[in-house]
Amino acid sequence: MTAGSVQPGGGPAPLPPPAPAASHPPGSVQHGDLAARQAELVAALVAGAPVPAGFDERLVGIARGALLRKRAGDVARHWPLLAAGLGTDWTATFARFAATRPTRGSLRDGWDLARDLHAAARLTGPARDELAAREATWHYRGTDAPRPRRLPALRRGDGTVVIQFAGRVHTLTLPGATDRSS
Amino acid sequence: MEVPATPADTWGIPSTTFLLIFFFTATTLVTLAVVHRLILFAGRRDVPPAQLGPQQAAYLNGGDRLAVYSSLAALRSAGVIGVAKDRTLAVGGQLPLGATPLDTAVYNAAQKRIKSRQLLADSFVARALDQLRESLEQQGLAPSAGTRRAARIVPAVMLALVLVGVVRIFAGLANDRPVGFLILLTVLYAPVAIVFLSVVPRRTRAARAALSQLRVQHVHLSPRTAPAYATYGAAGAAMGVALFGAASLWALDPAFAADAEIQRNYASAGGGSGSSCSGGSSSDGGGGGSCGGGGGCGGCGGCGG
Amino acid sequence: MTGAYGVGIGWRPEISGFVAGLPGLRFVEVVAESLPHSGPAPAALADLRARDVAVVPHGVRLSLGGAEPVDPARVAHLAHAAALVDAPLVSEHIAFVRAGDVEAGHLLPLPRSREAVAAVVGNVRRTQAELPVPIALEPIAAIFDWPDDELTEAQFITEILDQTGALLLLDIANVYANARNRDTDPVDLLDRLPLDRVAYVHVAGGADHGGVYHDTHTDPIPAEVLDLIGELCARHRPPALLLERDGNYPAGDVLRAELDAVATASGYPTVT
Repeated sequence: MTAGSVQPGGGPAPLPPPAPAASHPPGSVQHGDLAARQAELVAALVAGAPVPAGFDERLVGIARGALLRKRAGDVARHWPLLAAGLGTDWTATFARFAATRPTRGSLRDGWDLARDLHAAARLTGPARDELAAREATWHYRGTDAPRPRRLPALRRGDGTVVIQFAGRVHTLTLPGATDRSS
Repeated sequence: MEVPATPADTWGIPSTTFLLIFFFTATTLVTLAVVHRLILFAGRRDVPPAQLGPQQAAYLNGGDRLAVYSSLAALRSAGVIGVAKDRTLAVGGQLPLGATPLDTAVYNAAQKRIKSRQLLADSFVARALDQLRESLEQQGLAPSAGTRRAARIVPAVMLALVLVGVVRIFAGLANDRPVGFLILLTVLYAPVAIVFLSVVPRRTRAARAALSQLRVQHVHLSPRTAPAYATYGAAGAAMGVALFGAASLWALDPAFAADAEIQRNYASAGGGSGSSCSGGSSSDGGGGGSCGGGGGCGGCGGCGG
Repeated sequence: MTGAYGVGIGWRPEISGFVAGLPGLRFVEVVAESLPHSGPAPAALADLRARDVAVVPHGVRLSLGGAEPVDPARVAHLAHAAALVDAPLVSEHIAFVRAGDVEAGHLLPLPRSREAVAAVVGNVRRTQAELPVPIALEPIAAIFDWPDDELTEAQFITEILDQTGALLLLDIANVYANARNRDTDPVDLLDRLPLDRVAYVHVAGGADHGGVYHDTHTDPIPAEVLDLIGELCARHRPPALLLERDGNYPAGDVLRAELDAVATASGYPTVT
């Protein structure tokens, strides 16, 4: 029942001393608050909260990074043009964006990032068309899950106009747009 | 019901009579054109669809350009083609085994520092495309040149009728006769004639059926399922483009497609922006993960902590 | 699983064509949450069923290790999934994925405490009550441990299995990852687990990153993991082994070679 000792069959490595604010003697099991401690850990991993007492900070940090990388990969599958547009910067850009934002699903994660970049005028080319097509097809307020649009909709892309009608999306290139993908 | 001709009637035919004849002839010609096309473009299916090569399927789906895109997909998947900084194509490495004549022509043309849209103008590529078209004609999947000319005969007569109408309009104006209805009819009919004359299908109905069958057989290549192109290889990439349009090439390698200026929506099946996610349909409440058909999150045992 | 199913592969839409083309395939696993809530199973899975390939729904979001009781809607969906594909069993993880209304988006390790055992056992029992088929539980790979582990990994797992009567989904790659990161002997863990309760085995690849081995499912299987399969089969050969690959899919030949390697290591016929 003591933490820090090496248990038969291999156990956790020796731990750093617990934080002074701990209300329990160091290493004792805290019964009955598994829920709270799980919440603390999750917050540390995905919401930027501090690492709870007793955990190896380096390892939790590594886990945090691994989670962000995995999320970046998942979001890239849902937003391929957004990811491709950022090229080698994709993972870092997403990780910076998502470091304190717990996931709401890859679709919404990517959507939120795309909107952020668009607001900062950093979304160009096919990535912008991709966002326009999604905006035209789904109704997403940012606060809850996207819903399909029932009415036709029109959105501006990068030198294009995206028209959604009955679930089908058509992209028209505006005259005078730079010859990029047409 | 003949109205006695008065000396003032244009050409000696009363307007009502002429309008009726015009209308009747016009509709007969349209019907004739439609029926004629149905017969001409029925096609045969000599070869089971499974034996259609990717570029053949691409030509039937999207003509010369899609066939070239299909070749580009195969070559890109094999890693032998790329794009230079100035957006011209560049090759690197040997032409892979099993390359079709069109693949070879595209590969060779790409060495001449041209952009992708200039590939169609290359003489060797054009020749390979001609060969492709001929092989499809022989199989009854594409109409021969003679068939396509034949399909223009009735529309040509339709256009002649339009011209007759125009002449009659001017004659009638000169004669101070009412020409309102005739103008209306001619104006409505002219586009019909022009469309019939200029739009001639490049494939037969048998070909369309073959393509549908292929799409079912290769449904896993649809961009909606985010196919693992590396696993399916060059043949898979080529067939994906052939059946599902340029969107497949964009899915295969967005950076290459953007730099090579591939038309993203060419021959691509309308809808679907990227993955087909049914947004909030799953019971995920507060979110966290794969949408309806995504299947993405996989083992999630990865990166443990 | 009754009877031997040999080597299988995780079904994913990205490689559905590849999976369909494996002649000797006898079973696949599908992420339970990706099956529809209503309507028929995806055509590709229906085709596999028609070929008599077993399909096992694998839950990833039930959060059986969470302190909160498992969401009945998720349990219902898992049961529905089992019925939809006529599954012989289902599987989930000894882990939690959410806490305090925040989604971790990933499987997180539990403290190896009696309190955690009670939480898992409670949730598994709630789930079992609604399932028409048995459930197998998968211990996960952990990059870090909790500060107050009372039990060893083997004790923790065995305790849960004993109290619930559930089967074990032994992820041999996780065994390797944990042993490597904790600097312990993986074979020792195998010796302490109830191998006769293994329903099937997961095999996956990983990579070193920052001095820690990550069970990524997007990398090739290390030779050490194949060796471990040999050790496992020498003790008690499981009825089935499943290759898990979630992304970064390699050429078809490479995937086939990996499947063959797992077959060779376990003594089962190749499915390619």
